[in-house]
Amino acid sequence: MKKHFVRILAAVLMGCMLSACGSGGKAASAPAESATPSSQASAAEEKAEGAVSEISLFNNKVEIDDALKQYAQTYEQLTGVKVNVTSYGGGGAIDSFGMLKTMSQSGDLPEIFVIAGPTHYEQFKEYICDLSDQEWTQYTEQAYLGENGEVVGFPVAIEGYGLAYNARILKEAGVDPNGIKTFSDIKSAFETIDAIKDELGLNCVVSMAASPELNWVTGEQNFNVYLSGGLARDDDSMINALLSGQVDEQRLRHYADYVELLFQYANSKTMTVATYDAQVSEFALAKAAFVHQGNWIDPTLKESGIDFEMGYVPQAFLPTATNGIFISAPTWYVVNSQSPGAEEAKKFLNSMAMTEEGHDYMVNIASMVPAFTNVKLTPAGRLSADVMRWNNEGEAYSWNQYHLPDGFALNTLAPIFEQFAAGSIDKEGFIAGVTKAINSLK
Amino acid sequence: MKTRKDTLLFIAFLLPALASLVVVIIIPFLMGIYYSLTDWNGVSKTVNFVGLQNYLAIFQRDPSFIHAFLITLAYAFLNVLAVNLVAIGLALLVTNRLKLTNVYRAAFFAPNLIGGLVLGYIWQFIYNNVISFYDFMPQMLAKPGTALAATVITSTWQYAGYIMMIYVAAIQSVPESLLEAAEMDGATYSKRFRYIFFPMIAQSFTICMFLSLTSSFKQFDVNISLTNGGPAASFMGESIRFTELMALNIYYTAFSYNKMGEGQAKAIIFFFLLLVVSVTQVYFSKKREVEA
Repeated sequence: MKKHFVRILAAVLMGCMLSACGSGGKAASAPAESATPSSQASAAEEKAEGAVSEISLFNNKVEIDDALKQYAQTYEQLTGVKVNVTSYGGGGAIDSFGMLKTMSQSGDLPEIFVIAGPTHYEQFKEYICDLSDQEWTQYTEQAYLGENGEVVGFPVAIEGYGLAYNARILKEAGVDPNGIKTFSDIKSAFETIDAIKDELGLNCVVSMAASPELNWVTGEQNFNVYLSGGLARDDDSMINALLSGQVDEQRLRHYADYVELLFQYANSKTMTVATYDAQVSEFALAKAAFVHQGNWIDPTLKESGIDFEMGYVPQAFLPTATNGIFISAPTWYVVNSQSPGAEEAKKFLNSMAMTEEGHDYMVNIASMVPAFTNVKLTPAGRLSADVMRWNNEGEAYSWNQYHLPDGFALNTLAPIFEQFAAGSIDKEGFIAGVTKAINSLK
Repeated sequence: MKTRKDTLLFIAFLLPALASLVVVIIIPFLMGIYYSLTDWNGVSKTVNFVGLQNYLAIFQRDPSFIHAFLITLAYAFLNVLAVNLVAIGLALLVTNRLKLTNVYRAAFFAPNLIGGLVLGYIWQFIYNNVISFYDFMPQMLAKPGTALAATVITSTWQYAGYIMMIYVAAIQSVPESLLEAAEMDGATYSKRFRYIFFPMIAQSFTICMFLSLTSSFKQFDVNISLTNGGPAASFMGESIRFTELMALNIYYTAFSYNKMGEGQAKAIIFFFLLLVVSVTQVYFSKKREVEA
């Protein structure tokens, strides 16, 4: 009897182990379904045959996570379709696009996910739906176009970045933000503020970060000044030259002067180890007059109750006047063509752009600048409002950093910036390093 | 006498573990060798065979990998030294006849239970904000040398408790009578330690050296969350990340640069390095054991 008992026990244990290896979801839901046949039947009655009632969305803008989830709830109440939002981002160790890659390889790609440019489009081409027949496409010029000119990407928002300034501090220092147009203007502005920074209670003039975690601030956004600062929106000459390994030496030299200025007047103690929160809070707590970030910090500032007057000045790195800031759709939502929930996903995106609740979410709750001309609300966030103003009045320079080859901005260029910020290489070394990196792309 | 039933039983018990091993380790390893000979970018459906080009490219065009190789060796050496010294010290402390030794053992072991990623972020906060609160204290993560030291300190803090447990087990298995007899014969503490104590725990020494060596080579989560490769430095004329250990370098090659083929090649080289190091270490330790 004992012998049999042991063998039966062993068989049962192995059976459990093998069934655990199989899809655990099915095993768990089977008993649940049989226990509640009535709710199952009524649910089936409510939805059409074969309709999907739950879709998932992958978001990489962590600052709108709460807003997005709130809108998903509103949408569920209105239509009965549940939208599961996962937010994944922030920089450094958190690699959103690496995560998407992993998800696609395990067959787990969500119904809606994000792409930020041509390299991601190339990677995920086989999973991306054609959205040209959607209603919202007529109200925006920022949609992402696929290789045959079809609309594939829903612009998440319009974002702008540049040097955001604290109006009160600038006024106290006697600097006029509208007078900053050329490199010498910005240099003298920094010097003026730096001379009286103790009186103003500042740690540094500009809250700039050059740390491994914020490698996107230097390698992608700041480097974009070299790629498209001062150039017309469809002028791709600099990025095309870079991709074929050529450097515009004159322009790079001006750019290096500008980077040197930024690093010189930043907080040398924390610049090379800064985190996103540290950089933004230095500006928010009025310890810095400027911050090198975009209008996406609006929700973060709102959460902390910060509400002083602020705006953008151009990143004036040339001896000639620069009249705009960098504005574009940073990422686009794309729909997973290989998932059964694709139609529901398209409806969700459409509702964001076409319904009042969607407009309310985009502008008021998430504090984003909408990319659609049919939205009549203006954003409450001060930086977002300023981005809209620059978009209408000034020049909007394009975002070309996402045309850079994979890993180039974050892992090849960023260390050169970090060394320059730490002082282990000087400006000539910086120029030489960047030139060498670009030349190797031939 | 083995009956057919017995053989079936053996196979039945072995199968789950063997199946897991094959599916999770053997098959991906073989696939990895295949992909390392191609130029796959990780997502596309087209895979071209390129032979040993990836391996050559690594040594010719990639100073960051060579640096990662060297810095991982340095880090492993420092970490093994630190972890073992701290662990032996703690183990000796904890096997004394103090009260609450069990509480101490649990307390020293607890850091090992915290996941590496969370640990890295907490320690990053400590290094950036707490330690440098006063102006005269350095920003440890800003300079290459101190950033490496910071990584060693953090991973020692995490791992020493685990190694300590193994040493505690070994120490407790040393018969008291031997040590007492030596004491009565007039041996000093250091002589007792060197000629009796140490040889008896030599076997656990092999195990602990092996564990700490392989875990330092494979270090990833503390590395990425604490420093994310750390301060930038110049090496062979290029800007590289100073504390980017090999696992992190392979991760960025594969997932950030989207060079899956090259990443796989680096991973195979990493495997061979680890193999050589581990086998050498175990061989020499076993030799010592037999002699002692």
